Amino acid sequence: MTNGAISLERTFSAGTANALELRGVSKTFGALSALDDVTITIGPGEKRAVLGSNGAGKTTLFNCITGDFLPSAGAIRFFGEDITNAPAHERIRRGLRRTYQISLLFAGLTVVDNVYLACKGVARGRFSLMRPGRRDTIMEGAEELVRTVRLEASRDTKVSDLSYGQQRQLEIAMALAGAPRFILFDEPAAGLSPGERRELIEILSGLPSHMGYIIIEHDMDVALRVSESVTMMHNGRIFKEGKPSEIEDDEEVQSLYLGGGNA
Amino acid sequence: MRTGARRTRYERGKFDVDGRKSDRRIATSIGEAVAPAENRPLRRFAENHPWWLAAIAISTAILLYLIFAIWPAWLVQIIGKKKVFLNALFNGITLGGLYFLVASGFTLIFGLMRNVNLAHGSLYLLGAYIGYMVAGWTGYWLLAFPVAFILVGLLGILLQVFVFRRMERQDLRQTLVTIGISIVLADIMLWVFGGDFLNIIPPSWLSGPMETIFVTGVKRSSGDLIYLKYPLVRIVIFLASVAIGVGMWTLLNKTRVGMLIRAGVDDREMLSATGARIQLVFVGVFAFGAGLAGIAGVVGGTFQSIAPGEDVRFLLASLVVVIVGGMGSITGAALGAVLIGISEQFGSVYFPTYSVVVTFMIMVLVLAFRPQGLLGRS
Amino acid sequence: MNEAAWGRKLDWTSSLRINPAYWVVAAILLILPAFASNFILYQLFGWTFILGMIALSLMFLAGYGGMVSLAQMTVAGIAGYMVAIFGDSAITDISQGWPWYISIPLALLVAALFATATGWLAGRTEGIYTIMITLAIAAAFFYFFNQNYVIFNGFSGFNGVLPPKLFGLDWRHPIAFYYLTLFWAAAWYFAAIYVSRSPFGLALQGIRDNPRRMAALGYHVTAHKVAAYAIAALPAATGGILLTWQSAQISPGTAGIGPAIDILIVAVIGGIGHPAGAFIGAFIYVILKTFAVDLIVLVGLGSERFRLLIGLGFLVVVFWSPDGILGLWEKLKQSRGLNPLLRRAGRRS
Repeated sequence: MTNGAISLERTFSAGTANALELRGVSKTFGALSALDDVTITIGPGEKRAVLGSNGAGKTTLFNCITGDFLPSAGAIRFFGEDITNAPAHERIRRGLRRTYQISLLFAGLTVVDNVYLACKGVARGRFSLMRPGRRDTIMEGAEELVRTVRLEASRDTKVSDLSYGQQRQLEIAMALAGAPRFILFDEPAAGLSPGERRELIEILSGLPSHMGYIIIEHDMDVALRVSESVTMMHNGRIFKEGKPSEIEDDEEVQSLYLGGGNA
Repeated sequence: MRTGARRTRYERGKFDVDGRKSDRRIATSIGEAVAPAENRPLRRFAENHPWWLAAIAISTAILLYLIFAIWPAWLVQIIGKKKVFLNALFNGITLGGLYFLVASGFTLIFGLMRNVNLAHGSLYLLGAYIGYMVAGWTGYWLLAFPVAFILVGLLGILLQVFVFRRMERQDLRQTLVTIGISIVLADIMLWVFGGDFLNIIPPSWLSGPMETIFVTGVKRSSGDLIYLKYPLVRIVIFLASVAIGVGMWTLLNKTRVGMLIRAGVDDREMLSATGARIQLVFVGVFAFGAGLAGIAGVVGGTFQSIAPGEDVRFLLASLVVVIVGGMGSITGAALGAVLIGISEQFGSVYFPTYSVVVTFMIMVLVLAFRPQGLLGRS
Repeated sequence: MNEAAWGRKLDWTSSLRINPAYWVVAAILLILPAFASNFILYQLFGWTFILGMIALSLMFLAGYGGMVSLAQMTVAGIAGYMVAIFGDSAITDISQGWPWYISIPLALLVAALFATATGWLAGRTEGIYTIMITLAIAAAFFYFFNQNYVIFNGFSGFNGVLPPKLFGLDWRHPIAFYYLTLFWAAAWYFAAIYVSRSPFGLALQGIRDNPRRMAALGYHVTAHKVAAYAIAALPAATGGILLTWQSAQISPGTAGIGPAIDILIVAVIGGIGHPAGAFIGAFIYVILKTFAVDLIVLVGLGSERFRLLIGLGFLVVVFWSPDGILGLWEKLKQSRGLNPLLRRAGRRS
């Protein structure tokens, strides 16, 4: 959305390789094994949910993909490129984005300014002292994203005055800035009211079909409605993969996930 | 103590797994910078920075030569009399001892609580005035130390309870409030004690010079060696500050309380979770740090003078010492204090117009190459 | 960390819709010379605008960038010294006597270079370290000015530093000087508000709120901070030059540690989140400094207790209203549910 040529090129390359491939990825902390031989393949434009109890390794999985941690073993490929040991900003530049569980927004700025900063981060003129005009393409892109996450009514509200749910929506807009190719959503529905959850489902379903993502979500209802495939994790391992409908009906999953996740 | 430290680390590893706790951790420490034995920091330093080590070794050798050798004529021609040099060196080292007393309290409080007390210089000056009065009234110089320590320590407790505890994690507000307090205290002290230069007179058994083992030259007539005479009171005070420094280091590294403090530096939330009475530790450390500033005031009042403006001077000295040595590190404070003390004295002897600039250049160089300070942890 | 709260009041800047309050203030300031005495114009308002500009440069760094720099008075002092050195003064041995169109830009340039160097040193640190380092820099330069006689003429500094006779006017005449300071104060005030919503200004505020996220978004955080120091040098340097002209002299005491702290006090008392706070704080400071002495004597204390009064006042403000007078104003507005300056109900939400 910032540059037509680049996003077109990305769409082409997106067609040729899998969006994300993890091969035997493990991560250990001392004696503790947080991820154990995880292999996941996500096709272009695929929307995947990752489920599992607390401590199943979901967030560690995200941290390995974004480069916050380097995996102890295994390889990660992003649209065919090996990014196993690439630094975090390198991955961002290639179109990988994530949202955070804890709010990392700019509390003193308005909604549209937050999104504008996120869009401007990958564009030129970051030191400009001239205000963006009405026709500024970056500003237009930011406005568009604010509409995408349905925050246009709060466009000029400061983040510190937003409700929790609105902050989560804004977090999604920030992740969408700068033409991402793939997004990692870390429990976007946590702490949201039922109404806000419905809105979240609509926002996620409204994303362009070529934009793939992984969503970590505790709320089965949300997770299964916004995903095309599901990966169940348990104790750092892949436990089951399948279509949402299969997972929903699976008895093992039911007993593990719905009855006390501490198993 | 060692098992305790290890357990801390294991706990932290566990927190890392869910990746939330890790970024909130405070990354400064007293304990770490005080060289945990198992890391062998010296050896690591030698392996990582061979050139630095060589430079340090060569300059140490030159320094030792300058101190102990009888200077040949050409050297005297270049640098000047050896007596001047030795005096500047010893004045610098003893001044460093004084700076250490002030700055160690500052850095201790910062390291543990992240509290920035810009009224620290006022505590120093208050200690000096208290010492002046006590020594004057009672005639016992030694009595000035415990009284200044206790009274200034009490003021420290008041500061901790009524100011810092109410503004935890608000750096900027703490800074502003303590600036305000220092302005108010400075004016009250000016009001009470006036603007004159005062001096605490050391007892007679401490006054006068003492002959040292250092040779300054050779008598032309007889060929006898001339030894440096140096004020006894400065030597005693310097030894006392070394003792205090070593005591603090031992307390922090070898005792249970010290372990508690160091754990608090590493991870405050964990420490309070273990049920340790962290607030009590905080108050204690604050009182101790403030009391040290009070003692330093008595020291400073004895071998320098007491006057309005000394509070700012010693606050600045503490800041520079701590910036150079590394925030929150006791050993860093010692290193920085001696470095700044020596550079100030040499500056005033050899480059009298630019003595402050020399000190400042040291700070700039450290900031440019090691923003976290010489012994600070990044 | 409550750093964000210090920049809370930014929503004033989010719209440039000109409201009546601005017109009233502007009109009063413009016609003031018609009825105010020379003392009020030259001493009170001239000094207010000058202090306000220097405090504005601190506000720009602290309110937008979260960097509390105590070296801004030093920046001002350097600019003042430079016009004395490159231009004319009574110290003819040192002063070069170059024309104003060379000496003034040169003074601004040197001040900006100094600020950039300061920013380079302080910008790689955060929060309290910035305060300490800039305080140390300010102190070092104070002593340097004092000790250097070749360039800075040591303790006595420069006297007889006069503004150029541009357009045939004596710019030290109270009315001319009043409009001169008013012009530059207004110019820098609106510049600060304008820049706050530019990409650079927004990025600066983003860095204040969350430097790590900014870095993750692809911003070079340190470069932005250093650039902020360079930009903030301009209002401070303007203030420094005008301050030098006002008293026709500059000496180390002008940029000492006391004045450096006073600039912080001015910005904080007014409210460090908005450019207006710098000028409100400056006005209060000047009024206090000018009249409080009489008041203290009335109460029965010696006139030298002025710093006690300033210190206590400052303590009261930082203890109970961290956002200064503007913060109190904001609280008042909220409690009345109406924003009189913007004619809008409270905060939009």
